[in-house]
Amino acid sequence: MIRERIIIENEFGLHALPATKFVKTADRFSSEIKLIKDGITVNGRSIMAILTLACEKGSEVDLIVDGKDERKAMRALKRILQGKEDG
Amino acid sequence: MDRREIRFRGVGASPGIARGRLFCFMLPPPDVAARKVTDVDKEIGRFNAGLERTAQQLAEMGERISRELSPTIGQFLEIQVMILEDRELKTEVENFIKVYQTNSEYAFNEIMKRHSEKLLASKSKYFQDRTIDLWDLTHRVIRNLAGIKHTSVIDAPKRTIIAAHDLPPSEAALLNPEMVVGLACERGGETSHTAIMAKAFGIPAVLGVEGLMKRIQDNLPGIIDGYKGVVIVNPRPKTVSLYNHRIREIQSYEKRLDEFRGLQPFTKDGRHIELSANIELPAEVIAVKKNEAEGIGLFRTEFLYLSIGEPPTEEDQFEVYSWVVKELSPKPVIIRTYDLGGDKFIPDYEEANPFLGLRAIRFCLTEPDIFKVQLRAILRASHYGNVKVMFPMISTVEELKRAKVILKGVMGDLVREGVPFDENLEVGIMIETPSAALLADRLARYVDFFSIGSNDLTQYVLAVDRSNLKVAKLFDHFHPSVLRLIKSVIDIGHKHHIWVGLCGEMASDPFGLVLLLGMEIDELSMNPLAIPTAKRVITSLKIKDISSVVMRCLEYATALEVRRHLNKCLRSLLPEEVLGPPV
Repeated sequence: MIRERIIIENEFGLHALPATKFVKTADRFSSEIKLIKDGITVNGRSIMAILTLACEKGSEVDLIVDGKDERKAMRALKRILQGKEDG
Repeated sequence: MDRREIRFRGVGASPGIARGRLFCFMLPPPDVAARKVTDVDKEIGRFNAGLERTAQQLAEMGERISRELSPTIGQFLEIQVMILEDRELKTEVENFIKVYQTNSEYAFNEIMKRHSEKLLASKSKYFQDRTIDLWDLTHRVIRNLAGIKHTSVIDAPKRTIIAAHDLPPSEAALLNPEMVVGLACERGGETSHTAIMAKAFGIPAVLGVEGLMKRIQDNLPGIIDGYKGVVIVNPRPKTVSLYNHRIREIQSYEKRLDEFRGLQPFTKDGRHIELSANIELPAEVIAVKKNEAEGIGLFRTEFLYLSIGEPPTEEDQFEVYSWVVKELSPKPVIIRTYDLGGDKFIPDYEEANPFLGLRAIRFCLTEPDIFKVQLRAILRASHYGNVKVMFPMISTVEELKRAKVILKGVMGDLVREGVPFDENLEVGIMIETPSAALLADRLARYVDFFSIGSNDLTQYVLAVDRSNLKVAKLFDHFHPSVLRLIKSVIDIGHKHHIWVGLCGEMASDPFGLVLLLGMEIDELSMNPLAIPTAKRVITSLKIKDISSVVMRCLEYATALEVRRHLNKCLRSLLPEEVLGPPV
């Protein structure tokens, strides 16, 4: 299991488009994926849960990935949260 | 209901006159009352079928919109589809149905209520606003569950006038000009998305009509006057015959225009003026081709951004730009980078004086990441045809230099990545601030062309906000101060061997066009619908006849004198039909 604290750097936060990208990317991996913000844990494969977590720009989230491909998954998902990838 | 003639006033948002029957676009509030169910499994099956049906509707709509209007809005619908396919959400609702033994409408509404409360608790207005999308989606699902047919403008019968409180963008995108002859909405103004789409489809529209929906019903006869911003319901026989007369006049005027479409824009003494089109939506390419424009002189890109309230991705932009570029190749397409700010609101930027604020290039230079994504998309599209890039609202040499450094950087990235693009792509700027006009000789060294933005230039030179009704009448692009600046920009451009164009309403005003011709402008970009008239004007004149008129106009002290002089000299030179439709 890997856990990392990440600051959301997308201009409008984890809004509709990057959230979609996040879920689509999460689906490519078999690991379990969770996001935690302000003590609330949600399933990283649920678009609804991620959107309603309302991660605005600058907010801190913990990304937890657990499974066989956890390293790869962490790398890919982190880029999206940090706004390093379009979406 | 009252059968007397009722007149409503609004804003004429798309020109033209239409007669037809009203079709009220209304979304009834769905019934979400709780009912006990005994067969829980059957209810869950019903719920899943409702979700699937909705997902299918949205996916189809998304495809059509992506194809014909904007992949960005299309993608927005794709997100709604993803929400419907969210397994966790589905489980939540199913569990609710099992535990409380209630109908799916109630269960789904309750679960969505919880989710939207979470959004409302956010500090960010952006996330709070998303609850609107969530409710739109929820209601669509519930209507499908209840078997209530979803009203859509797509169902409008022939010769319909759509009347609505407001059209959501997903519905405005579905307007079909073969069925819908006119549009009246309680909300919206000249620059709203509904207005942009109505114009793109050529559907006369009146927006901002207060109290409309309370006093009308389906099937009543109506008239839309998109020139004057008037909606008439139950017109009297006298009104009908008056409007029939005007419709006939406009039709015959348009027929005459048809003959001008194929003309080549050469003056009688052989000078060629390039006539190109201003567009905002990909769908307008149809009008560009139909009116035989020689290219696109101004491709506005704000729509992509404003339609979803966030920066569109590189892929979405690339798709839009490259499609337009391929459609028109080898004709040139000038893509203007974001002109956000001013009257085009950027979320989370509030300013006391937006026209003097963080607008256009200033916004892009403070948000270089957003700017770079756009430049990448434009450059990639340049591989597929003839693309030029244009920066808006330049007022200093430093701004232009910084924008060019960023452009160079993006080009370098693409070269390293092996992505093809047109390395000789022309780079130009809008001349729309007095500073840029006065510094034209210094700016000319760094660019391949100038395009004068006459609307903003007039506004800044005369210090008049024309959306402010108290001073709007002071706005006049025939003011000698504006004309002098335009003349000097054209001369300076030519001295530095770059071409100079103009995009703005002045180009489609027959008198303005004549003045610009006399000043030896190289290119004019206008609403594609204005091109046939412009061709007629150009082909009926000799440059040598108008140079003296222009010189004279530059000597006057007031706009009124300029207009009087033009009126006197040009009435006899210009064919009657170019002076506008008989309205």
